[in-house]
Amino acid sequence: MGRPDLNRRQLLAAAGGLAVAGSFGFAALGTGADALASDADTRVRYWNLFSGGDGANMIAMLDSFRKEHPGIAVKDSTLQWGNPFYTKLAMAAAGNRAPELGVMHVGRVAGFSPGRLLDPWDEALLARYGVRKADFNPALWNRGVIDGKLYALPLDIHVQLCFYRKDVLKKADLLGDDGRMIPVGSTGEWFDVLKKAKQVQKKGLQTIGLWTNDQNFQWWFFVAFYTQLGGRWFDDGTPANTEVLFDADKATQVLEFLRQHVTDGYVIPGAPTGEQFINGAPFTWEGNWSVPVFSGAKLDYGATPLPPVFGKPATHAESHAFVLPHQSGRGGATNEAAHELAAYVVTHAQQWAAGGHIPAYTPTLSTAAYQKLEPQNEYVSAMDHQATEPKVWFAGSTGVLAQDLGPVVVSSTMGSAKPAAVAQRMKSRLTTLLASKNPMDGRTAAQGGTAA
Amino acid sequence: MTTSAQTVVAPARAKTATATATVRRKQGFQHGGWFIAPFLALFALFVVWPLLRGLYLSFTDANISGEGASFVGLDNYREALNDQAMWDALGHSAWFTLLVVPCITILAFLLAMLAHHIERGTWLWRLCFFVPFLLPSTVAANLWQWLFTQGIGLFNETFGLDTPWLTDKSYAMLAIVIQTLWWTVGFSFLLYLAALQGIPGHLYEAAKLDGANAWHRMVHITLPMLRHITGLVIALQILASLQLFDQAVVMMDFSPGPELSTRSFVQYTLEQGFTSYRVGYASAMSIIFFVIIAAVALGRMALLRNREEGTR
Repeated sequence: MGRPDLNRRQLLAAAGGLAVAGSFGFAALGTGADALASDADTRVRYWNLFSGGDGANMIAMLDSFRKEHPGIAVKDSTLQWGNPFYTKLAMAAAGNRAPELGVMHVGRVAGFSPGRLLDPWDEALLARYGVRKADFNPALWNRGVIDGKLYALPLDIHVQLCFYRKDVLKKADLLGDDGRMIPVGSTGEWFDVLKKAKQVQKKGLQTIGLWTNDQNFQWWFFVAFYTQLGGRWFDDGTPANTEVLFDADKATQVLEFLRQHVTDGYVIPGAPTGEQFINGAPFTWEGNWSVPVFSGAKLDYGATPLPPVFGKPATHAESHAFVLPHQSGRGGATNEAAHELAAYVVTHAQQWAAGGHIPAYTPTLSTAAYQKLEPQNEYVSAMDHQATEPKVWFAGSTGVLAQDLGPVVVSSTMGSAKPAAVAQRMKSRLTTLLASKNPMDGRTAAQGGTAA
Repeated sequence: MTTSAQTVVAPARAKTATATATVRRKQGFQHGGWFIAPFLALFALFVVWPLLRGLYLSFTDANISGEGASFVGLDNYREALNDQAMWDALGHSAWFTLLVVPCITILAFLLAMLAHHIERGTWLWRLCFFVPFLLPSTVAANLWQWLFTQGIGLFNETFGLDTPWLTDKSYAMLAIVIQTLWWTVGFSFLLYLAALQGIPGHLYEAAKLDGANAWHRMVHITLPMLRHITGLVIALQILASLQLFDQAVVMMDFSPGPELSTRSFVQYTLEQGFTSYRVGYASAMSIIFFVIIAAVALGRMALLRNREEGTR
């Protein structure tokens, strides 16, 4: 009778031992053993949302920072992008466990309770490390300014692009003398281009990948073309954001344009976009983060901003920006180190540009190294005609606005709802959102203090 | 004589028996109490406390930062009851449940019958039917997302269709139902199989001798003997299906589906809490959902008790 007991005890002891050993193992893997082991005086915890190629680029930049700044230990953590990231960041800031440095989409900053969940940047300190307002696109810089203080330091803009395969377009006589896609200035010209490309493309593939079923992409495309038409969201008088200026007629035009790609048979609804492009589809509309994927596949391709089919060039743009998550006792050496690290990455963005993003720090753009990058040099002009969401608390990447309106745009593009009806629905939704209070501070967009 | 002696002795024996039982129960509780203490502690920490906390938050306008919340009474509940999007989401969860539960019960029974009666390679059949259940939800959902994709998916190709499974609101929920059947039928199948194996063989032999054919044996022996397991399968499936979330979210690329047609109650609650940061409102919705689920579970228990009493 004694033996089984003994065995059980041995088993329990062994299991306990394993658990303890395991937890030590995890401790060594995760929570900053590297930072503890170094003899640096200052530790900067840095949360970001970069995975894949972006993640590798960011780590390379951090490594060169570490090499040049042995006195600062950088402990970086990569979290899943989108709402999971913002939830964790908000809770960490609220619970006073915030890291010294974080990354956000600049469109989300207005809704992230600047002053309570975010601390403002010290512009004088940034200038000491080489970052000045004059070196940025003013519109981009001002998106991070709330109540006169800088809350988001832009690292890049990332835009929606029209990727095209030169090998296919050449056969269709759609390449200009410079080897780039011929310019397009109207919806008619655009559909002519698609028609010609379709005639020479591989059978069984779509002509253009349009993410027809994706609420984020459809929303981004909508924002781009609505901006091309000169469409506005809310008034910007004083006080701003008291009136909805959304133009349902213009919106209908955009929705019909997106829809026509499906009705004319240029899209296979729900089909993967990047994969089909690699396999020979002539076009795909994708974020610039696909550049490493297509370059890695050794395709003969180019990339322009979304075609200006409504006359005025504009392509959807969001921006990764550095933020200082709120810490009750922010200041001192760690805060200075956070400024230094952010400034370093922003001013050394050549590596970052390889991932397809357009560096926000404009001196990078005029370097020979950047101008040699293909196809980055073909779409760098997108910096000057960014189509962005309105600057309100409910806007920004995967925010409330995108979540509410994205699915409606999808239903129009996919044909289960009429464009005109969808445009009206969008307008009424915008009216509701404008009147609703930001759960973070109980103020509406009109009371939101988001004026630059 | 013997009778009177027995009557005299019996109460005394009964008394000592009860006394020992009480002592045993007390000892049992002492030992058992320690054994269940870790469970009770975790249960209190991770179930009871969050539930109470959620109940409290549902009466506030708390945001995700947990700061600056004020008491708003029943406002959240009032708003929720007037929130068409919430009712739509609840409708989607209920519709999904209505589709899945009967299908999965019948399918699981048929598969179990098949696996039970097949003579050769029984293990292979059991494995085939059960293995999908072992897949993580994301894997199973991603797999079917590919199968259902219009234009390149295997599902349409196999059946010679051109149906926009994932992109049209008339089909999207159906696609999720089909995926769920394939993915989760294994669990109910296993319950049925175990129950089938528990039916004594002599019942069938006796019935055969009495001239009952296969149909009669099925209707008069198999189905009645499986009654309890059928009740269990249905109850578990209802509770699981009402909580529809992961497979729908993954198959629809983290969107609420074409024209919001696959947004479940759980998904809508999550969106309110973690995209819109309205923790107070999301808590109220969770409490509403808790009440609905509890009502369903209690309703089923009451129904079962009545039926059992009726059969006695």
